[in-house]
Amino acid sequence: MDDQKLDKILKNMDTPAIDANAKKRALNLAMAEFDSVQKEKNAEKEKKFQGFQILSRLMGISNTETNKRKRNAMEQKSHKKFIYGGMATAAAVIIVAGIGLQLAPNFDTAGRAVLTQPSAQIKPDQRNTTGGIHKHTLETSAQQDFDSENLEELDSLAPQPSSSPDRKERAKVNADLLGDSKNMPEKKQAKPERELGRTASKAMPSKDDAVARTLIAPMAPARSITTIMHEAEETIALAPADIMTNQYQDVGRDKFSDFTENPFKLVTAEPISTFSADVDTASYSFVRRQLNNGVLPQKDAVRIEELINYFDYDYALPDDKTEPFKPNVTITESPWNAGKQLMHIGIKGYEFAGEQPNSNIVFLLDVSGSMNSHDKLPLVKNSMKMLLGSLKPDDTVSIAVYAGAAGTVLEPTKVSEKAKIIAAFDRLSAGGSTAGAAGINLAYQLAEQNFDENAVNRVILATDGDFNVGINNREELKDFVERKREKGIFLSVLGFGQGNYNDDMMQALAQNGNGVAAYIDTLNEARKVLVEEATSSLFPIAKDVKFQVEFNPNRVSEYRLVGYETRALNREDFNNDAVDAGDIGAGHSVTAIYEITPVGATQSVDPLRYGQKEYMLIEEKHNLDNIHTPPDFGQEIAFLKMRYKLPKEDVSKLITQAITQEEHGPHCPTKSFCDYGINADTQFATAVASFAQILKGGKYTGKMDYDAVIALANASKGNDPFGYRAEFIQMVRLAQSASDMQP
Amino acid sequence: MDKQQQNALITAAKAGDAHAFERLINHYYDVIFKFACKWCGNANDAEDITQDSCIKLARFIGKYDGKSAFTSWLYRLVINCGKDWYKSQSRHPAPNPEALESVKTESRSEDSVYTNQVLNAVAKLPEGEKDAVILVLSEGLSHKEAAKVLGCKESTISWRVHEARKKLSAQFKEEQYYG
Repeated sequence: MDDQKLDKILKNMDTPAIDANAKKRALNLAMAEFDSVQKEKNAEKEKKFQGFQILSRLMGISNTETNKRKRNAMEQKSHKKFIYGGMATAAAVIIVAGIGLQLAPNFDTAGRAVLTQPSAQIKPDQRNTTGGIHKHTLETSAQQDFDSENLEELDSLAPQPSSSPDRKERAKVNADLLGDSKNMPEKKQAKPERELGRTASKAMPSKDDAVARTLIAPMAPARSITTIMHEAEETIALAPADIMTNQYQDVGRDKFSDFTENPFKLVTAEPISTFSADVDTASYSFVRRQLNNGVLPQKDAVRIEELINYFDYDYALPDDKTEPFKPNVTITESPWNAGKQLMHIGIKGYEFAGEQPNSNIVFLLDVSGSMNSHDKLPLVKNSMKMLLGSLKPDDTVSIAVYAGAAGTVLEPTKVSEKAKIIAAFDRLSAGGSTAGAAGINLAYQLAEQNFDENAVNRVILATDGDFNVGINNREELKDFVERKREKGIFLSVLGFGQGNYNDDMMQALAQNGNGVAAYIDTLNEARKVLVEEATSSLFPIAKDVKFQVEFNPNRVSEYRLVGYETRALNREDFNNDAVDAGDIGAGHSVTAIYEITPVGATQSVDPLRYGQKEYMLIEEKHNLDNIHTPPDFGQEIAFLKMRYKLPKEDVSKLITQAITQEEHGPHCPTKSFCDYGINADTQFATAVASFAQILKGGKYTGKMDYDAVIALANASKGNDPFGYRAEFIQMVRLAQSASDMQP
Repeated sequence: MDKQQQNALITAAKAGDAHAFERLINHYYDVIFKFACKWCGNANDAEDITQDSCIKLARFIGKYDGKSAFTSWLYRLVINCGKDWYKSQSRHPAPNPEALESVKTESRSEDSVYTNQVLNAVAKLPEGEKDAVILVLSEGLSHKEAAKVLGCKESTISWRVHEARKKLSAQFKEEQYYG
């Protein structure tokens, strides 16, 4: 054989096709490892004593106002630690469950991954959780016996990665797992009890006992171990047989309802603009996720108003509590078109001053096969655990899941029994198809079972939006949610994952259920939505909030509403209380921006040739006949009307305000943030609106480009305690490079 | 994925950006898997080795210093993972060349039987020679690059490739003679 032939054969050597499931599995493991490496790095940075905060989280915190304030202060100081603390709580439960590992596979957050490949798969999670928890439990329980050197030793005790067994053997393990599930609970229980007992009798900790000893520390989760074991059987029954099958991967099935941007409208032709409030933020997180992946989002995924409303603006609150909010109107020069102006209408709901109302919350979690991805079910679980921290001990929580079949995982339980709730989350794993409708039914039953007229009754649905079995008729589901809303049970939707994210459906459900739709892409976003903004997401202060603006044709020739395309209402819907609209929670802020052309400035739309004439004719006629002179509205450029209902009322209330050219922002913190006396918030909202419109194609933003957005946002970033605005600027940069890469 | 984008991702991943790492590994999984297939000659083992490699990559990406090409660094990591994997498999003392059925060229090619025989023979080569042949002849690395990957001198690679060529052509001359 000559060399060339050999070269050719080797060069053109074909390799077998890549198994998508194996790939997904490996990627998940790698991501888990990556996360744990990052955490280790962070842990190294923060090795100093972290206080008793974690301990207090383990024991369940009372949610008094002072406590909350303290916690907020802590959060601002160290974001990371707080999240880390939450993770530690989760990890504590996981590791306690893991004691029985030698005898049987565990059910931890990695769920299926652990089940399918016992040895190799356990490696990253195991090492991470054991390593992490030793440190935390030691620190929090202040066991002085161990110094940091012991900690290192403990780390080395974590099971070393044994090689993955033969494929067939793996299958056998899987089979055994199913077959032996009945015997498992006793076996599992026996082991930890023995270990715990042994350690108690010894004074000096040996290496082995050290592990067990640290495990005693979090007593609350330890209690849950029995629960986990007793219900191990049930878990297997719940998660269908295909729990052993493959990881789910889906690409390019994200669904968004399509819409076109609002165009300029002639005031003479259409003087009135009506729309519903929208406090959802799902679009922002979804866009962020896409940009982080280096691609520009689909145009339909960008809902301008959701991007604007993602941020908190410091609008003036009403003077007294009789009204939930008051309008703040600011008029600025438009950065998009010379001669045009922007009219910002901002409202902010008041914050709860007194006791937070009781809640009756049902978590409805999608555990179908499609949720089996590191950015879905594990993130759902961690997010839900975070939300628990925002609730009061008296509140009730139940958990229902749906996959091939719907099932109750946790009957209504008081938040004070936190360990039990967390244990219930931890034994969830993904598998099976998605019967969304059956799950929703079950969740509402649970909510009704524990219905409290004076509490906020809410179902929180966490899903990637796939409802592919059962009643998947969109209208039917919507109607169902709507009927329940009238009974007083609301629905919020949290979206997870990417690939077959059904935004369209989730928006529809949340809007009909008087709830918010949020998209959770990271743990930090979960914290923002479920901890920081928990009060606004959970407790509505006004429902069916509608806006109607009438423009004065003598001052404004045309207008364009930026965003709210999917929230447009008919003119007559404004006064019709039966027409549903958006809701506002405590502390929510809503911003609407109109771009207007003052009379005399260059118009985007040509004025009507005949309509104009007719208009003048009427005027002339008026003058001639002198029947009555039209009232003089002077400087008024528009008239704003808002309708809302209080949460428990059915009749709407009206707020009106005339808008004059002299409207200014509520206040101007420092001179540097205020060009032309405009406050920073208004400028920032303008930057966000510009960005969103550029993402949608930049039809109306003129010469404004990403650089200009960055400059504007930078100048108006303001205080930005949580770094959301800085993150926005980062996002704009990502979009800039993503668009540069486009052909 | 172009080079610039790749470097940006690597830098971001090193700094701890999970999204960047996800994209990176999503891209490189295929590269690793293909390489592992050629290296061990069987898809099942390759899958496991690739999985281990991905996890290792997650752990050690921070250690990549940019001195050599990322792929070279990656090849080295995969080969080390592969060796560790076989070491840990007491039941598989060495790559199992009989299990080659999964690595083959498309059967439509007329001389596929012959090709498979060649690949079989490559998998049976002594370890150092096999690594060199796959890196140089199959992956198209220069002798210098391959030397970096395997941590030996350039001349060693040249020698190993030469030896392997000699062995292979001798073997196939024989077979053709008898066949």
